[in-house]
Amino acid sequence: MISVDVQYYALLREQAGTSRERVATSAATAQALYEELRARHQLTPEVSQLRVAIDGEFAGWHDALSDGAEVVFIPPVAGG
Amino acid sequence: MAHFEFSDRPLDAAALHATVEDRTCGGFASFEGWVRDFNDGRPVERLEYEAYALLAVKEGDRIIAEAMARFGVTHARCVHRVGELALGELAVWIGVSAPHRGEAFAACRYIIDEVKHRVPIWKKEHYVAGDSGWVNCERCAAAPTVTAHPHGAARGHDQDHDHDHGHDHATPRAPASVGVHAPGLPSPDYSRQRVLPEVGDAGQARLRTARVLVIGAGGLGAPVLGYLAGAGIGTIGVVDGDVLDTSNLHRQTIYSLADVGRPKALLAAERLRALNPEVDVRPYVQRADRSTLPPLAGGYDILVDCSDNFATRFVVNDVAVRLGKPAVAASIYQYEGQLQVVMPGGPCVRCVWPRATRPGVVGNCAEAGVLGPVPGVLGSMQALEVIKIVLGLESPACTGVLLVDLRTLETRRLRARRAAGCAGGPCTELDPVEPAPSLEMELDLATPGAAADFTVVDVRDPDEILARPLPVARLHIPAARLAAGAALPEGTGPVLLVCARGQRSLLAAEALVARGVSARSLRGGLAGQPRHA
Ligand SMILES: [Zn+2]
Repeated sequence: MISVDVQYYALLREQAGTSRERVATSAATAQALYEELRARHQLTPEVSQLRVAIDGEFAGWHDALSDGAEVVFIPPVAGG
Repeated sequence: MAHFEFSDRPLDAAALHATVEDRTCGGFASFEGWVRDFNDGRPVERLEYEAYALLAVKEGDRIIAEAMARFGVTHARCVHRVGELALGELAVWIGVSAPHRGEAFAACRYIIDEVKHRVPIWKKEHYVAGDSGWVNCERCAAAPTVTAHPHGAARGHDQDHDHDHGHDHATPRAPASVGVHAPGLPSPDYSRQRVLPEVGDAGQARLRTARVLVIGAGGLGAPVLGYLAGAGIGTIGVVDGDVLDTSNLHRQTIYSLADVGRPKALLAAERLRALNPEVDVRPYVQRADRSTLPPLAGGYDILVDCSDNFATRFVVNDVAVRLGKPAVAASIYQYEGQLQVVMPGGPCVRCVWPRATRPGVVGNCAEAGVLGPVPGVLGSMQALEVIKIVLGLESPACTGVLLVDLRTLETRRLRARRAAGCAGGPCTELDPVEPAPSLEMELDLATPGAAADFTVVDVRDPDEILARPLPVARLHIPAARLAAGAALPEGTGPVLLVCARGQRSLLAAEALVARGVSARSLRGGLAGQPRHA
């Protein structure tokens, strides 16, 4: 198990009901973590509609997570 | 050497020519304006020029500085006569030298047009009949009791300024002591920003020569437009096809309740001109899409994406990437915003969002709700990023995306990498934007049917047309008139513009295309036509 700091933006924040949370997980990749959280919070967007950033940098969904990582899930927004 | 000056003695073109010679330059372009013997149907005997020198020299120097910055020419100089001139005398001389001819031509043309429009010079014509009349050569000038339009702000009020020295204002007017600003109106004062070491006189000059196209005049666009005009950005284009709705006003505070139902691009232009008459504001009442944006974007240095939908967001990005111009993009969702500055060579919006997002995945302002200050903050940040680009200040905004949560007041910068082959491949192939087609075309007008797809418009001046008529031309409208906004007759269809050498016709064609008219220019003009036995 590792512990990561997860942040949600826009629609994800609304659906998760929080903008950040500490998550203990056995997920190895960003995608596995998202699917876990998706089931827990009933998040509607699919991975293909989002971007993930790990430790301040946009990352790939198959990138590995490490203990203490900061993971940000971001949907695109278009309001103006 | 002064760049712009007045002379009360006859001008010596050869001596002036010598002052702009330079071994590093391969091209020299010059314009000479002469005193003509006829004006507005009245024979002229001689004339006098008078200038409000203090103001005129300042404005003239500014024009030369703009031309040098905009076209990158090496030397540029303009000398205008004052005092009494006889027929045939040289009234104005302009010389430009540059590494290549294109810039020299363009800068020379720019200088004479702007001098005609902006520099306060009056002319007294002495007619053969014995009487005389004052004519204000300043663009759009009127007697001070009537509305005096500040320069650059009265696009719809253009007269044909293609005259070289003879005037074309219908009514002679008394010389008025108005400058380039309306009477009683103070001049814009940039002292509070100019005092910053990063701005100064040089920075202010850069702001003045900058041309910024703002796509969207809504929640983000409103603060962007206001701050850019306030800062003295010289040319601001506004693209928006919507009309003002009552539900816009809580976040689009540059408008008024009384304006509901009118096109926002026009309203924004009015507001900006009132805020800063020095700004040349160009409203485009149309949606920015794959066909309308590319021809507009070419005339600007920076694009600002203030749109409210993904389709436009990607079009602005694609056009910026293709043209190698910076784009400043922002978007909002409820209390959050995302800001990304796309610089040539850096990661673009598609590098971050490689899959063009389906509409409806996330809500717009109407569905999701928004508090007015949220786009206000993000739009203000966009305006600041534009100013930073113009001033040459570094910004981390171009390294990725800035996430701003205005509820928690947290900001987060996420670095992005440029996708492999960004400009040529992945970032433009999903929704490719056709490169702007060349407006120039080559054909032999003497070949029957060669120009059958077009209405041929002769854009030369009447005296040129008399000297060498062009029977195939169906319309005769001087290029400057078209460039200044003259409309073509209803139902004209695609037009092919023809002038003597293809320069004026190209400028006029660009102006027409920018207004959504299908127009091409005959490359090389009549001089480039094949000789027929
Ligand atoms: Zn890209």
